[in-house]
Amino acid sequence: MTNSLKEDLRITVRIAHKDLLDFWKAKMLVVTFTIMPLVWMAMFGFMYPQTGSSNPYSGKISTPYRNIPIALVDEDCGRLALQVASQFKEIASSTGLFSVRDFSNFDSAREKIVSGDVKGVVVIPAGFSEALTSNRSATINVVVDDANPQLASLTYQEAIMVLRMISDGIRRATITRLSNTVDPLFISDPVSVERKPLIGTTNTFQFLAPGFMALVLINGALAGLAATVTREKEQGTMDGILIAPISRTSIVIGKVIAQTVRGTMQALMILVISMVFFGVRIYGSPTLMLLVMFLGVASFSGVGVIATSMAQEQETAMMLMMMLNIPMTFLSGIVVPMEQMPDWLQTIGKTLPLYYAADGLRKVIALGADFAMISWDVAILSMYALVTLSLAIPIFRRVMSR
Amino acid sequence: METVIQTHGLTKRFGDLTAVDHIDLSVMKGEIFGFLGPNGAGKTTAMRMLSTLSKPTEGTATVGGYDIVTQAEQVRKIIGMVAEKLILYPRLSGVENLEFFGRLYGMKGDILNSRVDELLRMVRLERFKDMPVGGYSSGMRQRLNIVRGVIHDPEIVFMDEPTVLLDPQSTSFVRDLIRDLNEEGKTIVLTTHIMDEADRLSDTIGIIDHGKIIAVDSPRSLREKHHCEALEDVFLELTGRALRDSATPIVPMRRVVGRS
Repeated sequence: MTNSLKEDLRITVRIAHKDLLDFWKAKMLVVTFTIMPLVWMAMFGFMYPQTGSSNPYSGKISTPYRNIPIALVDEDCGRLALQVASQFKEIASSTGLFSVRDFSNFDSAREKIVSGDVKGVVVIPAGFSEALTSNRSATINVVVDDANPQLASLTYQEAIMVLRMISDGIRRATITRLSNTVDPLFISDPVSVERKPLIGTTNTFQFLAPGFMALVLINGALAGLAATVTREKEQGTMDGILIAPISRTSIVIGKVIAQTVRGTMQALMILVISMVFFGVRIYGSPTLMLLVMFLGVASFSGVGVIATSMAQEQETAMMLMMMLNIPMTFLSGIVVPMEQMPDWLQTIGKTLPLYYAADGLRKVIALGADFAMISWDVAILSMYALVTLSLAIPIFRRVMSR
Repeated sequence: METVIQTHGLTKRFGDLTAVDHIDLSVMKGEIFGFLGPNGAGKTTAMRMLSTLSKPTEGTATVGGYDIVTQAEQVRKIIGMVAEKLILYPRLSGVENLEFFGRLYGMKGDILNSRVDELLRMVRLERFKDMPVGGYSSGMRQRLNIVRGVIHDPEIVFMDEPTVLLDPQSTSFVRDLIRDLNEEGKTIVLTTHIMDEADRLSDTIGIIDHGKIIAVDSPRSLREKHHCEALEDVFLELTGRALRDSATPIVPMRRVVGRS
């Protein structure tokens, strides 16, 4: 290693050390920095509670939304209708799916949907018992609160699941009544389906935690760079650094390293919280995970340096960073699965480094991927880092000597 | 005497605005050069170019014999800067600030530690060395800011309004400090709006207005040439009384009162 390179490295470390020391001394900032991942994970922990998979065939039903208020209207009042209503209440209560309230007619139940007291109505219409006793198929109606499409869809699916279990029971009882020689389970469900996890146990957080880690890494790097570069420009300390006989590359890399350390610490906090409170496990190599985290920060730091070099003051830099961060968060498949988006948005999302950082982390943490399996993510992130930083350094040099 | 700063047609334009307009200047080794001018005259821009923080649009300049554009790194090794904005990290202590800037100049170990101690003693801040700079008074901060600019013992020091907003005691201390640094052999380029300060401290005065150098001489010669008792009168005679950073020329209040 040449002396000049050694000296550049020494200065890089000094600048990173100073930035971290300066950060460490801002007590309120450190408190916020520590609390933020806790708040995030607690918030998303409630939004996406851990749940197993539902399986109506095996009678296993799980739900992330417990005790959805639902109305039950028995317009038939026959023996079988009463039996179905009672079974519905029992399953709803034992699985924690619904909190069931009885109504004598549909209109009064409908009013409760409009007022927001219940999210759906299950109606057993007149003639239900009579149809079944005459060996004819009977219908149960489900009405949901369409004002909230997501909850409406969930309420509908879960009501259907409970009713299908009841229907299966009726079918098996009918088969037994008609013939004692055949297994009613074989006739009703000749093929049953059971979901098996790819690795370990199925846990929503195995998907969410790596995404949030990538998000915190890149957002932290961008916001941190925006704050540090523009603050130093505003308070005048950047002049003190620029007037010293040191390379501009050392300044940029030193600042990027400080932000990488900060981002990595925050991402690791998210991981620890996810592991301790939400049962997340690292199935892959922790070293590989750290490599993806490092590349995740490095991949977008160049863009952060360019944007903050050009911004005249902190407010503009922060706005610029928000302008980049918010769409990137939603387009990278972290909060909303990418498959939900139209093709053209997916194409944009797949050009962003956050997508590859989240993808790499997910594969390593949740699926135990080895290096070969994430080589594409690593290659794209490295390319991003190389291209953006090699553009950022001359731009930083030029802008700073205007 | 040896020339340590030499400019030839040094110019800086920002779009249509010519901030520094073809200035030719010589600063001799070991002198205090008072660089005066109204607000927006081009002093700070010229200093930023000479200290390699800003590239000239036109012209050339050498500092310590090195070209400010092609040999910027050599220039940076021999200059120090005390800017109008304090170059200090408020959350870091006095020692941490000095150590950080010292390390940027390759200083380390005992050499750095003894230099930091020496400078803190010089500006009487030993007792407060571990306190965050944000808790210092204005005078303490400026004293620390000055020694920070000379941590690496530079040959040439650029000082931009080092006594602005200081109380008389601190001002007097800082002026003595500037003299001490000059007596150590350092060349000092000083900008100030306090004419008395420029008069007392400077060996040579350069006055810049509208980006052009309009006078260069010793304070005494300037006063004699313009038949003025105070340097301030020479300055106003050369640069006029109109406000420079106002949208329209404003007649000074004294005259309005006189007429009524």
